[in-house]
Amino acid sequence: MSSIGVVFRKEMREILRDRRTLIAIGLAALTTPVVLFVISQVSTRTAAQTYTIGYTGDIPTGLDILFSATGLKLERVDDPAAAAKQQVDLGAIFTAKGVDEYYDPTRQSAQVADIRLQTVLSRYDAAKIAASLQEKGVDPSVLNPLPVTVHPLSSPAQAAGNSFLSFFLPYILITMSLTGGLSAALDTSAGERERKTLESLLLTPAPRGHVLIGKILAVSVISLVAAVASIGSMLIALSQITFGGNQARISLSPLAAIVMVWLAVLLAASFASLTIALGTLARNFRQGQAYATPLYFITIFPASIVLFIPDFNPSLAYYLIPILNAVLVLRDAIVHNSLAWGALAVTSLSLVLTGAGCFYAALRLFTREALLVRS
Amino acid sequence: MTEKAVKVDRLEKALGANKVLRGISLEAHPGEIFGLLGPNGAGKTTTLRIICTLLAPDAGSVEVLGFDTQVAPEEVRRRVGVVTAEIGVYPRLSARENIAYFAELSGVLDGELDRKVEAVLDRLDMGSFAKQRAESLSSGQKQKVAIARAIVHDPPVLMFDEPTSNLDVLASREIRDFMVESKGRGKSVIFSTHVLHDAERLCDRVTIIHQGRVVAGGPTAEVRGRYHDLEDAFLSLVEAAT
Repeated sequence: MSSIGVVFRKEMREILRDRRTLIAIGLAALTTPVVLFVISQVSTRTAAQTYTIGYTGDIPTGLDILFSATGLKLERVDDPAAAAKQQVDLGAIFTAKGVDEYYDPTRQSAQVADIRLQTVLSRYDAAKIAASLQEKGVDPSVLNPLPVTVHPLSSPAQAAGNSFLSFFLPYILITMSLTGGLSAALDTSAGERERKTLESLLLTPAPRGHVLIGKILAVSVISLVAAVASIGSMLIALSQITFGGNQARISLSPLAAIVMVWLAVLLAASFASLTIALGTLARNFRQGQAYATPLYFITIFPASIVLFIPDFNPSLAYYLIPILNAVLVLRDAIVHNSLAWGALAVTSLSLVLTGAGCFYAALRLFTREALLVRS
Repeated sequence: MTEKAVKVDRLEKALGANKVLRGISLEAHPGEIFGLLGPNGAGKTTTLRIICTLLAPDAGSVEVLGFDTQVAPEEVRRRVGVVTAEIGVYPRLSARENIAYFAELSGVLDGELDRKVEAVLDRLDMGSFAKQRAESLSSGQKQKVAIARAIVHDPPVLMFDEPTSNLDVLASREIRDFMVESKGRGKSVIFSTHVLHDAERLCDRVTIIHQGRVVAGGPTAEVRGRYHDLEDAFLSLVEAAT
């Protein structure tokens, strides 16, 4: 067996016997479904929840039925403005001239109740106007001279699901590609120095480049397993739960799944090289963790772009930026279920070059004399 | 086999601003224990690290069995086994797995692997803990693992760098016996130490270095000369060189 294979097999054996790595992967795979289940329960409960309007005055006929049908409960109070601060979700004073609404925008329940109230009132107004016009012999459609008929080209529920996935999935892919193998990467680099095994390893005739490749391969496999396990568990959870009372399930298209696995391979290899390089700089595991901490922020930032700028459609040059490019390609594959081959090619090239650069840096660090002298 | 197992010629090395070696020359032969003696910081470990290709010299040259360390470092590493005071082992591998790993990296072929590993386990009497994870071994047992992994590929040159400094009396005794046994097998044994009683008892020839320079060298009895023992000779030579 080549020395690459010997090192790979030994590293895998050690990693699989390391509880830290196994627990990290297991927790990551379990945490995502649990979090999604909690979100699902909260959103479903929010959708079904009844909100209370504290009111004074006389409610116009028929409006109370609309309120009840929209999940708004009416409760007579002395002072609707005061009651809207805590006692009820919002306050309303019904007069002959109209409705005075009181609500606290800092309360989420008040925001939801406000939206429902506005919806009910606008429907009530429209119905009253239509009735008045008909009484006077006027066709109510005169108020809507250019009616719009909407024909969604895909399921709105699926679109909402894709939008959710387009943020969540790249985020998990990137964080798990980084953190899934981090412990193993630091153990195989900084850990070698800390355990005083590095000198013996470098004394073997195995070429140092081969030793390093064996280590990077092992860490890449673990990162990949962590990312795929985490995403797999997420997709299984998504296929079983619903959000906000919507019965449509969120699923990943085969194209997006293929793109995701390809990107996961590239990211895992790059992160493995990078974290091993950082670990090689460190004298012990703890110092390695300190060096790797900024990576969390650097990697999470591009994933957040999709959240804050959902319609970010950059030029091809942006796909040269590592991590951001993976986020964008995956987003396009999920949201549009299409693949821009140019963007994928530039992204792949960028990630391969990044991985090669990290490998070169790791090799330089791994072969320098200071590695032994400093220890 | 070349007559000289190791030949070091006018070796110089600086580590940062510190000039550690200032023209060290020495030779070690097959079938002898060669002592590399000196106080802490004299340059013993740096010399050994250059011989086994972990460090590159700034000037001078080193040959191991005819292979220049600068030209053919992998060939040199194939022929050298090194035991240090730092007995780091892979804690989640068993003693046997630790040894097999280094055997494979040292080029022991698959067909020979089991036989060679078993042979070294027998030789060092490690059968009782061979399957135990290294994290649960005692210091003496870990030192045996460290020796086993250094010799499993049967190198003709063995280097021991302060091998007994962290060990108890029994384990130290076993290391000394092992060096003598290796000498009997025709190996060239280089023993770096500042424990002069050990050196006097074991070494056929010694070189004393101080502040990166050789202050004396030759057969042990000759270096001891008119002094009561090697320690007196060492102190006198080092004092004269300071």
